Amino acid sequence: MTKAGDTRGYKRSWKNLLINKKYQLRFTLFMVGLSALLMGGLGFWIMVVANETTKVSITSERGKRCEPVPTIEAPHEEAPAPVTPMKLPEGPDGAGSQPVRPGGSKINVTLDEMEVPKPQLVIPAVPKDFGAKVVEHWTCEVSIASKVVALERGRMQILLALIATGLLLVFGLAAYGIKMTHRVAGPLFKVQLYLAKMRSGRFDKVYNLRKGDQLVSFYDHFKLAHAGIVKMQESDIERMTSVIAAAEAAGAGDHPSVVAMREMLARKKQSLE
Amino acid sequence: MLDKRLQLRYILVVTILSGLIAGALGRMIYHQQSLSTQSIEEDLFELAGGDDKDVKNITNDYEKQDRMLVYKMVGAGIGLVIILSLYLVIMTHKVAGPLFKVSMYFDRMAEGRLGNVTPLRRGDMLQDFYVNFKDMHDAVRASAAEDVVALESGLKNLRESRNQGDYRGEAHSKLAEELDLLEQHLVQRKKQLG
Repeated sequence: MTKAGDTRGYKRSWKNLLINKKYQLRFTLFMVGLSALLMGGLGFWIMVVANETTKVSITSERGKRCEPVPTIEAPHEEAPAPVTPMKLPEGPDGAGSQPVRPGGSKINVTLDEMEVPKPQLVIPAVPKDFGAKVVEHWTCEVSIASKVVALERGRMQILLALIATGLLLVFGLAAYGIKMTHRVAGPLFKVQLYLAKMRSGRFDKVYNLRKGDQLVSFYDHFKLAHAGIVKMQESDIERMTSVIAAAEAAGAGDHPSVVAMREMLARKKQSLE
Repeated sequence: MLDKRLQLRYILVVTILSGLIAGALGRMIYHQQSLSTQSIEEDLFELAGGDDKDVKNITNDYEKQDRMLVYKMVGAGIGLVIILSLYLVIMTHKVAGPLFKVSMYFDRMAEGRLGNVTPLRRGDMLQDFYVNFKDMHDAVRASAAEDVVALESGLKNLRESRNQGDYRGEAHSKLAEELDLLEQHLVQRKKQLG
């Protein structure tokens, strides 16, 4: 259990996320690299299958035949009825012709526009199910086109999903790797600080880990080791104190060996403060 | 697995994430393949003009292919998870190994034993940390050894002066007793450093 007084208030910060760069980056990059490699291989295979199936499906869809729209004749103009031969006023000879004039004939014709026959517009009859067939045809065409679009979209979705999951995997694992290794590197960093102190002969108090840190068991081992060294120093102090006291009582307090022992005792006591 | 908790935690998270991604991709590709099969089946039935034994055989083959794709995807997913797990076991072992070794030395230190520290295996991680630990261990050991030498010298000098000097009575015997205890203490310490 972590007691409040045993824990120093070091807060986590993104600035010191990479405490042990070599270990953290090596571990994370290897993990991300391998995952990316495996996912890349899987993605390549998936895209090969996706491209193949999409191509087959699209070819199949495009090969479908829709019922054709029934043809109808376009509206057209019909030629007017044949013109009735013109009747000329009958002559006195009964031949019906004007008297022949010397030097050539001359006919005077008067046309009345109202009487000239005009061409008639003919609109052919449309079959009763024509509308339904047109709708059916275009529904079929649109359905094929939309299926082709859906297939293409499906292929694109797979590609985008692959890219997105690839990025998610890379960045997710990188973030997770750094965060998790930080939880290992944090306690190691703390232990390293204590190791440096112990190396220089200082065995002062050891504080607990932060909440959420890993290597709790390892840290407990370290604390026991630290306590063992402290106990060694304390037993030395105890023994030396007794010897110095006995030497002083026997009148040998000023003996150079006792003086040296006193200095050593002071050093050992200081190392525990 | 030297540190199960540490190692399994990594492995579980990474493999679950990879498995989920592989599963999602597999589902998408299976969907696309199914669409293709369905489209071909429809075409075949239309061409055959209804139920036909050969067409049914062909469609069965297509469905088998779809199932094979699912098996392949499952196989690929399991392969992915196994490879990542193995990799992570090895990688975390390279971290857990040195920690395990240092823990063993810590246990010895807790008993006051300061024997020699052997180097890590090649390829292990946390080499820098281990060097720091070894430096500390060697420094504490050297300091303890120096103290033993200094105390032995003091002990010897005090015994000689006691024999030469005019120390008498209870104080004399008390000092002799304390020096004997110090000697025993130093013998024990030497054993711990051995």
